[in-house]
Amino acid sequence: MIGALRAIGDRVLGRGDASITVPIFDGALKPNQILENAEIVAQFDAADDLATDGKAPLVCDGGRVLLPTDGAGTEVAHFDRPVTALCALPDGGIAVALDGREVIVREGAGGERRSTGPANAPFRSANAIACLADGRLAVTDGSRDNDCAQWTHDLMGRGATGRLILLDPRNGDAREAARGLEYAFGACAAGNETLVSESWRHRVLAVTSDGRRRIVLGRLPVYPSRLAVAAGGGFWLTAFAARTQLVEFVLRENAFRRRMMKEIAPEHWIAPRLRSGDSYLEPMQGAHLRTMGVLKPWAPPRSYGLVIRLSADGVPRYSLHSRVDGINHGIVAAAEVGGFLYLLARGPGRLLRLPLADLEKDAAA
Amino acid sequence: MKEVVLRLRYRYWPDHLLGEILSKRWTETAIPVIVLLLVAFAFSEAIPGFLSPNSLADTARQAAEIGFVVLGMALVIVVGGIDLSVGSMFALTDFCALFCLDVLNLPVPAVAVITIVFGALLGAVNGFLIGYLRLRAFITTLITLIIYRSAYDLLLFDYSNTIAAAFPDDAVWDFMGGGGVFGVPSVALLYAMVAIFGHVFMTRLRPGWHITAIGGSRRSAYNSGVAVRRTIARCYAASGALTAVGALFFAARLSTVGGDVGVGLEVTVLTAAVLGGISLGGGRGSVARALVGTLIVLLITNGLTTLSVRGGVNRMVLAGILLVAATIDIRWLKNRTRIIAKVYVSPTFHHMPALLGPRVGQGSRFEQNDKLKDVSLIGLGRIEAPEDVILDRHDNLYAGSRHGDIIRFFPPDYEKMEVYAHIGGQPLGMAFDRDDNLYVCIGGMGLYRITPDRRVEKATDETNRSLYSVNDDSRLRLADDLDIADDGRIFFSEATVRYEMHEWPVDGLEARGNGRIICYDPATKTTRTVLRGLKFPNGICVSRNGQSILFAETWGCCIKRYWFEGPKKGRVEMLIDNLPGFPDNINLSSDGNYWLAMVGMRSPALDLAWRMPGFRRRMAKRVPLDEWLFPNINTGCVLRFNEAGDILETYWDQAGVNHPMITSMREHKGYLYLGGIMNNRIGRLKLGKADPDFVQYETRWRKSA
Repeated sequence: MIGALRAIGDRVLGRGDASITVPIFDGALKPNQILENAEIVAQFDAADDLATDGKAPLVCDGGRVLLPTDGAGTEVAHFDRPVTALCALPDGGIAVALDGREVIVREGAGGERRSTGPANAPFRSANAIACLADGRLAVTDGSRDNDCAQWTHDLMGRGATGRLILLDPRNGDAREAARGLEYAFGACAAGNETLVSESWRHRVLAVTSDGRRRIVLGRLPVYPSRLAVAAGGGFWLTAFAARTQLVEFVLRENAFRRRMMKEIAPEHWIAPRLRSGDSYLEPMQGAHLRTMGVLKPWAPPRSYGLVIRLSADGVPRYSLHSRVDGINHGIVAAAEVGGFLYLLARGPGRLLRLPLADLEKDAAA
Repeated sequence: MKEVVLRLRYRYWPDHLLGEILSKRWTETAIPVIVLLLVAFAFSEAIPGFLSPNSLADTARQAAEIGFVVLGMALVIVVGGIDLSVGSMFALTDFCALFCLDVLNLPVPAVAVITIVFGALLGAVNGFLIGYLRLRAFITTLITLIIYRSAYDLLLFDYSNTIAAAFPDDAVWDFMGGGGVFGVPSVALLYAMVAIFGHVFMTRLRPGWHITAIGGSRRSAYNSGVAVRRTIARCYAASGALTAVGALFFAARLSTVGGDVGVGLEVTVLTAAVLGGISLGGGRGSVARALVGTLIVLLITNGLTTLSVRGGVNRMVLAGILLVAATIDIRWLKNRTRIIAKVYVSPTFHHMPALLGPRVGQGSRFEQNDKLKDVSLIGLGRIEAPEDVILDRHDNLYAGSRHGDIIRFFPPDYEKMEVYAHIGGQPLGMAFDRDDNLYVCIGGMGLYRITPDRRVEKATDETNRSLYSVNDDSRLRLADDLDIADDGRIFFSEATVRYEMHEWPVDGLEARGNGRIICYDPATKTTRTVLRGLKFPNGICVSRNGQSILFAETWGCCIKRYWFEGPKKGRVEMLIDNLPGFPDNINLSSDGNYWLAMVGMRSPALDLAWRMPGFRRRMAKRVPLDEWLFPNINTGCVLRFNEAGDILETYWDQAGVNHPMITSMREHKGYLYLGGIMNNRIGRLKLGKADPDFVQYETRWRKSA
């Protein structure tokens, strides 16, 4: 009763859960243009994930898995459905998720194993795979209601059906380590825990194999996505979009949100996107107004590019940005190979590269 | 069905009035008046004969006596102080009057003069201490309260018997105490005269303004050259004099010098002043408020006395009311602007029909192309915010800038530029009249004229006030675009009457018909509003038949025609409706048709939001302006349309890099010149098939000359 009254009061006054405030990019998240100035390695039409076997980056583009050497790239594997998650296995094989619904493990020795997840609740939008120390795979399943491509529907539908599933490729055993997540998108082994990005809650969780959760990093101003291990200890956390007060507001305006989802094409919703500015039918916010020919980089981001370098205990050390006036938006995956940080920007479909030494030097400065 | 209810509710329930009423200064007087009416009604229900003429006359007599004291108190509060010594002064001056009359046996006029001067002197002591020596008003008057009261008690001890024994027999004295004219007590008549003078004094005379200014901000008043100390001192003296007047009539009525005269009067008077709406913070108050407050307090005390409530309770009620009134006063003053800002914005239901088929693009009337990609740029980085561009018959190019200048570019290459005239406000629409005067709409200022010898003259900045609008809409807030009819009359649009120019997004959020079209006649120098309730009327163009104007409604996404002459005079017709974007300026083209600038394009999200006023209202309250959902005015185009409203041709810049925004265009000798209010450039486009000799001036004025 008191809780209900408080909720009503909060809604009237805009406090508590009804508050639409968004943390600012401050401290380690202070904006820069490093990502915008990154070297472009290759261009893809439908690249979704990035992995590395330690020698070269691997990219999945549609149904193909490529070694993106010299522009065109060499095909490593081919699948009949689009690959939505990619992981390089220690034995030289790869694990992929196909269309979010099935995980295929191709061992280095040549064998192939398939899994559709827990028998009673199969994968719907498996979007990231990570190898754990015990040989199992950590798979994040974003939503049980929406396909991978329809992540905007899951956000605007206030979905909370994401899961972390531990898959044992040796016997096909799949077990839910966490459920009810508000879009799980990205996993990474960290000691005996698994880090998981919970996108719609703007946080990174650490989940133990028996299901206990701990918030590693909360209240992010962005929607976090896939994680990658950094060589010097710590992690790379990608963020595929940034939060805005207008989206937070719309998320709390149920009538408007429902009508918007029913009456308007998804690409024109008031929602975060991987790229923006393509059409004048997109919603425009006040600060997006081009003044004297300039789009302000601090305008509320409909799409944004951000990678955060986390220390081993999950504290942000520094970050790489592509701001509102930039192009390299929608960073969904990162990988360190041969002294470079490779990043996949889904907005423009680019594979980007930055020399690690420079990043560390800038961070130290 | 639900939407129909929503539409009717927003059409007939005037949401926007609440904010407009609250932002009026008189609402602060209106609330005490309502309280007064409620109190009067309640007591007249509870007590039979409470509002009978006899009872009223008696109330009026007391009201006027206290009323004088409240006037004095009001004066002191408005100047930023407080006078707690009024009760003691009241007693002392009461004593003074009776002493002069009964002991010294002076004539009544002399008694009156001496008493008032005595009161003024008592007040002047306060005034000297507070005004010149800068002591705190509260502590000073608290001390004089005690001193005056002690003096009164001492004097009372000596003379009370003498005064009580005397029975002055004087017609004037009796008239003051109990007489009247046509049943109106003498004291009330005098009070009315003083009140009327006081009102004129406070609102129309220099000293009154000085008093209010000091109360509002003592430092600012001092910096403005107001004699702060002297004015404050005089206010306290005036308070003493007014108290003396009240006491004089009190003495005439009761002829007593009892120990309880004036005890606790300061609380009653203070309650009356605060209850009337005279802010304790100073700088806000009026005679009307003092009167209303007096009446409320008196009705309550008399009513409670009649109901046989004990004196202590009576006092407690008054003190309680004072506390409540003071709280409301302080909370209201603190939050007034915030409350008004929150309720002023009132979005309304605005339904744009869905666009059938592809909105824009292949096969539609609004085919997208890249014809504007290769415009050459004039004044890039050197001109800011040229909303409109115009060329004279010598090929000079004129454009406004946000620095308040009209800039002139010289042919043939338009590289050289100069400030043609400085006006001070943002120039918007422009037009040349027959005599080469350049008429310009200036946002926030009105309609201005620049003569050929570069003199800036105001044409008009006000129109007739609407009968039914709460806001005073006589001033022009956002004159936008204009055109000149053959007979010299100037028709110009005012985009909104509720907001200033830089607040245009708020008007877009409301999407109410806040705009109007106004006609200025230079021959008679008169300005009249001709059309009201338009959704951001913008571009205006006199049509080729010379009997009508075409005008664009930006938020209405339509072009309409208004007949100002001819058989259809006074009628408004829809020419093009349901445009896919927001129309701006309209101008003549050389092939006998019209150019239209589309400043932006509709987006589905905004179309939906326009149908959900509650969503927009909450957005206005919760989300900062920079993050609001805006009309998209980053992409636009230029259209050519004919007299029947058919779209003939479109010009786009899809990338929006070279010439991102277009608010106006002007054809001249085979070129099209483009202006944009958020741009730092003017575009120039070579037209493929256009009359290479087309000059606006010749077309407009030679044929009819």
